[in-house]
Amino acid sequence: MTAARAIALRLLARWETLLVVAIVGAGIWSTTLSPFFLKRANLLDLVTPYIFIGLMAFGLTFVVVAGEIDISIVSNMAVSVVCFAQVFDAGVNVWLAALIGLVVATVLGLVNGALVSVLDLPSLAITLGTMAAYAGLAYVILSGEGVASFPSGYTKIGGGYIAGNELPIALPVILAVAVVLGIVLHATRFGRYVFTIGSNREAARFSGIPVMRVRMAVFAASGLMAGLAGVVYVGYFGSARADAGTGSLLDVVTAVVLGGVDIFGGAGSMLGVFLALVLVAELRNGMQLANIQGDTQDIVIGGLLLAAIVAGNLVRRAQTGRFRVRPLRLGRKEVIAHDAADALMPSKLAPQNLKGR
Amino acid sequence: MHRRRLAVTGIVAGAALVTMLALTLSAGARTSKGYKIFFLPKTTTIPVFTQNALGAKAAAKELGDTITYNGPTDVSGPKQVPFIDSAARQGYNGIVISTSDPNAVAPALKRAAAKGVKVVSYDGDTAPDSRTIFVAPSSNKLIGAIEVQWASDETHNKGEVAILSATPTSPNQNTWIKFMKQELAKPKYKNMKLVKIAYGNDDPTESAKQTQALVQAYPNLKAIIAPTTVGIQAAAQELQQEGKCKKIQLTGLGLPNDMRKYVKAGCANKFGLWDERAFGYLATYVVHNVIAGKLTGKLGQTLKAGKLGTFKVVVSDGNKPVVVLGPPLAFTPKNIDKYHF
Repeated sequence: MTAARAIALRLLARWETLLVVAIVGAGIWSTTLSPFFLKRANLLDLVTPYIFIGLMAFGLTFVVVAGEIDISIVSNMAVSVVCFAQVFDAGVNVWLAALIGLVVATVLGLVNGALVSVLDLPSLAITLGTMAAYAGLAYVILSGEGVASFPSGYTKIGGGYIAGNELPIALPVILAVAVVLGIVLHATRFGRYVFTIGSNREAARFSGIPVMRVRMAVFAASGLMAGLAGVVYVGYFGSARADAGTGSLLDVVTAVVLGGVDIFGGAGSMLGVFLALVLVAELRNGMQLANIQGDTQDIVIGGLLLAAIVAGNLVRRAQTGRFRVRPLRLGRKEVIAHDAADALMPSKLAPQNLKGR
Repeated sequence: MHRRRLAVTGIVAGAALVTMLALTLSAGARTSKGYKIFFLPKTTTIPVFTQNALGAKAAAKELGDTITYNGPTDVSGPKQVPFIDSAARQGYNGIVISTSDPNAVAPALKRAAAKGVKVVSYDGDTAPDSRTIFVAPSSNKLIGAIEVQWASDETHNKGEVAILSATPTSPNQNTWIKFMKQELAKPKYKNMKLVKIAYGNDDPTESAKQTQALVQAYPNLKAIIAPTTVGIQAAAQELQQEGKCKKIQLTGLGLPNDMRKYVKAGCANKFGLWDERAFGYLATYVVHNVIAGKLTGKLGQTLKAGKLGTFKVVVSDGNKPVVVLGPPLAFTPKNIDKYHF
């Protein structure tokens, strides 16, 4: 009896459960806002405009779980989009061109990974730099009007509908990707490595995990997903330009953090990120249908992000019994500066443990 | 432990509920006769679009229609797409759109058209097959030519000239720049030399930075042409701060309200724009007539646009079908106080 209650309580207190409750709540709210929200075609189409956001959020999840950040992800998508477009425009088959876009994005992700892991530099600073550099690179590769003459056989995957013209093809695509990535993160050795490195990189190194390779791999994964997002983006909008994805970083990071991924690394789930994407898409859609002003929409989404960070911190505080107030991990120096006693002296040897000896 | 966690959840949920309630109340209910028109700007964060919307609302009042003015907070075609889909779902009769990405909004506009929504583009045109008529503020050739003319007037027709544009991908900016180059190539401007095209991304800080860079890189610069309302204001402020207003003449496209104090300070003696309110007003009359079936985009059709008079559907700048508002107005220290937008 008590065991069943404990399990029920634990399930109730899970972040994903909160998200489901929030999704239902936001749905009820949206229904009161607009009579058009509950239409089946609308519900099926909720996530479609945000699928490229979701794909990037899935990629970013690996990076954040590993205790890093990749804010260059949207610029990376722009580069892969323009490479894809240029190659296609030169007469190459559209699918082959898309594949080249994926390769480019993965390579750019690897560049981030190499700078961060091999040189052991802070990912926030590195990807801030590559964010600007990649955005510039996109304009160098393709400036001006962009490319728009993509064949309909291809644009269907991003913007096509089946089943009575109501089910967007992109919906099953993103569900499949979420499941596959969920398995990679939660049910493979690689996934466990990512979590371990995120919770304690030093411990991971001492237990024989190839830390450098795994850290490079998470940035490569983030790049690959940026590339995939680009392929879907071009499919949905039918337009490839250097400014692809402008202003999307807020939504991407919101999906990851709102999805319950610990911004300090070591915790999170793919399901949570997917649910968060649904929640953001649902809120945007509901507010859109109620014609709430764009800036107010941004305030709501930004507020949600803040609430998620604060609530996440409070929940963890409740679990561990103390606040966790520390900046993003920027490297080993931080550890020393912040917790000097611990760094200089292993905690078992700390004075209070020596008492009574 | 769980109780604490539940309490936290309760607080967060409570806060969210209060916010939502406030928004629900502010959204309100709307009932009306006439057509429902969705007015979708490139972004709601640039003041000219607010002026277009005021004109649109004035026209709608005369016509008995309802205007909903809403759009994204970034200048982004893809971010306009959810607004288009949403307008179509809500059963709007017409959409008036200005876009920065003609192709990215096309699939969504076609989806809307399939549901019976009539589409009219204005200011920033969409792909031609995704709208019925484009409403142009002026002819691009005339806009490009007159800005060169203004620069020439202010610099005694000689010296180095730079252009401060918005984004390198903005279609109307690029068209105007193309015509400026054509105009400058004419023999009468042989003593004027275009030295640089800078891009301030329609961002005040970036535009000011680009202005500063132009001033530093070209010591003999005589004039800056900024065909963007954001760019010209930032450039005026920067030139004033650096005390370069006498040395470098500023012209281009700007809003009288934004530029008034710089005109008074002698930092912009001649620049121009079309009447933004009249522009939104005309676009609304056009979409109303398209919804009513009176305009189909056939060349030569005419419409009566209230106080603005009669307009004709024509070919303009090689684009069709187009309704043209008219030639740009020039603002000078003498007439600036007559305009308040």
